[in-house]
Amino acid sequence: MTALRIAVGFKVTPDYEALRPADWARAATGHSAHGEAVRYVRRVFNVFDEAALELALRLRDARAERGLETSLVAFSVAGREADPFLVTLQALGYEGARVEPDADLDFAPAATAELVAAATRRLGGEVLLLGSRCGPGDTGLVPFLAAEALGRPNLPGVTAVEPAADRLRVTFSAGDRALRATITPPCVLAVGNALVSMLRVPTLKDRLAVRDSVITTLTPEDLGVDVPAALSREPSALVGLETIDRSRAGVVVGGATPGEEARALYEEHLRARLERI
Amino acid sequence: MAGGTPRIALVLDATGAAAERHARALGGFLRDGLRLSPEHPADAVTHLFYAEESARERLLALAPTRPVRLVRAPPHRPDLMAAALAAFAAGGGADLFVFGGPLGAELAARLAARSGGGVLTGVLDAVAAAGALSCRRHVSSHHLIGRFELRARPWCVTLDADWLDVGFEPPAEHAVQTSAELHEDDFSAPRLCDDVEVLEPPATSDLEAAQFLVVAGRGAAGRAGVERIAAAADRMGAAFGVTRPVVMNAWAAPDRQIGVSGTRTAPAVCIVAGASGAPAFLWGVERAGFIVAVETDEHSAIASEADAVVLDDAVAVLEALADIVAREHP
Repeated sequence: MTALRIAVGFKVTPDYEALRPADWARAATGHSAHGEAVRYVRRVFNVFDEAALELALRLRDARAERGLETSLVAFSVAGREADPFLVTLQALGYEGARVEPDADLDFAPAATAELVAAATRRLGGEVLLLGSRCGPGDTGLVPFLAAEALGRPNLPGVTAVEPAADRLRVTFSAGDRALRATITPPCVLAVGNALVSMLRVPTLKDRLAVRDSVITTLTPEDLGVDVPAALSREPSALVGLETIDRSRAGVVVGGATPGEEARALYEEHLRARLERI
Repeated sequence: MAGGTPRIALVLDATGAAAERHARALGGFLRDGLRLSPEHPADAVTHLFYAEESARERLLALAPTRPVRLVRAPPHRPDLMAAALAAFAAGGGADLFVFGGPLGAELAARLAARSGGGVLTGVLDAVAAAGALSCRRHVSSHHLIGRFELRARPWCVTLDADWLDVGFEPPAEHAVQTSAELHEDDFSAPRLCDDVEVLEPPATSDLEAAQFLVVAGRGAAGRAGVERIAAAADRMGAAFGVTRPVVMNAWAAPDRQIGVSGTRTAPAVCIVAGASGAPAFLWGVERAGFIVAVETDEHSAIASEADAVVLDDAVAVLEALADIVAREHP
């Protein structure tokens, strides 16, 4: 395994923290309402996918130091909202591809996994890196189902990947336990709480170097995937949404300075409670 | 589904860590989280996967049902375990599989894919009727709860982490129905992992057990601010945690992270300093007896999710509070 091709599947998601309770109340009125409520919020990398993208870059760099060749491809099952992110990834050394879905794949992990597996076959990638879970479904099923569709083993909760001769040394978690193992691809690695979690920023020079690059666009038909049929086989169906009431009293503590506020907080709310601990 | 009674298989992966907690979760869910419609006693058996023969009797005693199917499996081989379960399912072994343990989600996904069944992770509760399994789970980073239906059988589910904290006493006696052993070369599956090394677990036990907890968020505005809040927490005798953005910015170690991706806590008093209150974080502190938010934005989510709110700079308030607490509670 002197040369290695790594594919990273990623998703850009609405920045949920930018939504207010009223937005969530509207989102909870139905599946399509959920999509509408979050459609106009700014997009960000799914946090676990962002870690996967940076881990792959670091693995490429570490392998290069050992004279080992690595090629990277990043792809997203998404509409055009993923294109600015793909341009950034191209500037960082990724080939970029987008699988244009012809249906709403929110809450559809099996259909998504089928497209991810088919894209990996088309684009290549002995190692497929995916974030361990992604909204809005947050099921964490896509890496497992993609591994199953590809006939590959999977490691969950991956936090680090390093070269080990011509194999890979992977740190991952299984439940409460952290493990490190040497693996031989092909495989799927589901990235969890990696120590490295933020994607590096390309330089202007890097961006200019790829200004004429093309993002490969694939359709489900190109990949031989019948999305409506895949959706009809989804292993679960969303039938409703509910809001969650987490509200508490929210009593505002007064005071003109941090010192006064701290004193009021202590006297009115903390003294008795801390004495009981 | 003989006579309308769904046959239930509790699958306990005891090849890894925390088998006792996962066994309790399965038992608690069967008792409190699963409703059969029409109501009747559950027909359930535990599939217990274990790795070391020396641990067999100890792990058997944890099984949440009296009938048990024991399977010894090589460690780190979910592929073999999934194949064994698929063979059991193909024989009509169960209508509902409930998975617990580190490999539970992978086993559920692979079994559903191989058997054409339904699958859902992180289930809060479920109703099993003749036609479908109806389940609820968190979605959208814990902002909402989704209601789902699984129609194709077998239904394969894993449980929400809340179930790990329920109390459940296993039966005093168990009846071993079958006892089998899986081997590395079963099912022609290649082995993925070599030279497996178990690493030291992160030091999060102080967070789980903490009665007084301080959590720093992005509002600390940098590593220096996080360190000052950590020092204030230390002076007050409080445990110290952080939100995910703080970890992502490398302002604190990942083992300090609170929330869905980190540790879940249940302190008597929790002070959240400079965090907006994202639900995925709040899940980690929502069982606190009393929550104080120190935050400059009065419209942030945490302001309504706390019992008391101080609208000011988090570092300055925490340092002033530390002076008082250190003096009053030496």
